[in-house]
Amino acid sequence: MKMKERKWTLIIFVIILIAYILPYTLFTNVTKWYGSFLLWTVLALITIMVNYLITKDWGKEE
Amino acid sequence: MSTSLVWIAIAIYVILAIVIAVISRTGKQNNMVSYFLGDRKMNGFVSALSYSATTYSAFMLVGLAGLTYNGGVGALGFELIYLMGVSLVAFFGPRFWKVGKKFGYVTPSEMLGDRYQNKTVAVIIAISNCIFLIPYSAVQLSGVGYLIQGVTNNAIPFSTGVIIATVLALVFSYVAGIRSVVWTDSLQALFMIVTSTIVVIILIKGLGGFTGFFGTLETDFPEYLTVPGNGFFSFLNFLGLSLPWFFFSLSNPQVSQRLFMPSSLKSLKNMLLGFLIFGFVYTIVAVIWGYSALMMFPNLDNADLATPLVLQSELVPPILGVIVMVGIMAAAISTIDSILLTLSSLFARDVYGNMNKSASDYTQLRVGKIVIPIIAVLAFLFAQMEVNLIAVLSVSSSAGLLVVVPAIIGAFFWRNGTAAGVISSVVVSGIIVIIIEFTQIKPLGLASGIWGILMSTFLYITISLLTKAPKEKAKEFLSI
Repeated sequence: MKMKERKWTLIIFVIILIAYILPYTLFTNVTKWYGSFLLWTVLALITIMVNYLITKDWGKEE
Repeated sequence: MSTSLVWIAIAIYVILAIVIAVISRTGKQNNMVSYFLGDRKMNGFVSALSYSATTYSAFMLVGLAGLTYNGGVGALGFELIYLMGVSLVAFFGPRFWKVGKKFGYVTPSEMLGDRYQNKTVAVIIAISNCIFLIPYSAVQLSGVGYLIQGVTNNAIPFSTGVIIATVLALVFSYVAGIRSVVWTDSLQALFMIVTSTIVVIILIKGLGGFTGFFGTLETDFPEYLTVPGNGFFSFLNFLGLSLPWFFFSLSNPQVSQRLFMPSSLKSLKNMLLGFLIFGFVYTIVAVIWGYSALMMFPNLDNADLATPLVLQSELVPPILGVIVMVGIMAAAISTIDSILLTLSSLFARDVYGNMNKSASDYTQLRVGKIVIPIIAVLAFLFAQMEVNLIAVLSVSSSAGLLVVVPAIIGAFFWRNGTAAGVISSVVVSGIIVIIIEFTQIKPLGLASGIWGILMSTFLYITISLLTKAPKEKAKEFLSI
């Protein structure tokens, strides 16, 4: 595995840990739209951004 | 919803889709790579739409909306964690694509068989995929049955819907193999994302706009905005549901096979990013849909009926309701036809091809085409056994497919993986998943998928360490 990939793996791993942990701890009593609903939505958007960054140069190195 | 309107809409959809399927007949289609992989020449945009259509089935607007209806925001988390899991494609996609091109693989199981230098690996994984994916297809078929029955108030019975879906899936996969599947998929996906988004915007407006919508949720259904909320999404349940889906993009051959198809790495990138955006929008749409059902019809016994009721509600204009209904039906079909095609390629390539060493590529293709209708009939029969909560059975099949994941990860990242490790992990953990699903016991409160992945990882590693690994092939895969 290349160094760059290790970095991205770690970042995605942290995002997913947050997605499992926060809704069941910090946000478990926040009965608002800006609780778990917003958190998961934002984490998904960040993941999409990360995927964009990982794949940015695909096809250029062929 | 009037029955004649439903029939007219179905007829228009069928004609349109068949025309597209026929137009898609290009290329020679007389070999396995052409028929099942579109000659590895798929462009990114169509691949993204088709990947979306294959992944997102009737489950989204029926099952996921139903899960939201039952348990609230946990459904959103579950589905978005799945979406995050598709990031695996960013790591495994180029690897699949490169080895596929280099060694000429048609199926993911063929790839694993070659990687571990053992034909039994390919045969066993192919068979295990069939065992778990036929129920998954059946779930989609019954989704169509419920939906049409629901929106027409039983005027079109469950079995008629199931028959329509089976026949159409069969036609779409037969006409031009993956090409007709991909093009009809794209039609369906575009259609679905546009119409369902319109419906959701109408629903939010009708239920008081953004502030009113969430205001009602916050005051009348506060527990639906948190987990574990009403208890439906206890942490262990949530983990048991989401974990198998996290690895879906690797474990399910109907999507991992897609990684062999793009024409270039750029197309693969567009497929991945296009899919992630589609999936994000569609997930939000399905969850809002479930919430709307909850606000409009709070006391349903069967959450699977939430969507048909929303479609018939006075908020949704009847024409739009019918269009989305047909879209949901098409969503199920676009998932089933891909599965039919993938499973038949697995059978022809890995099971038949390995048992008859002299079978030519052309003979394999013929066998594949014979197997497509056989699998369709099996799925049809399974669908007749009506199940209560669509999502639960659907997740069970992905739990069963999950056991192949350690072997796939190891193929590219661990040089010591062996055929014995793969075979034992897939067979033993697969049987354990089936036992847990059948008996409905949850040892230590953990779902079948969690046991499956723990067992298969343990067996893959320990048995591999005790046996001799194919060093040469491992090196080629690890350095790709």
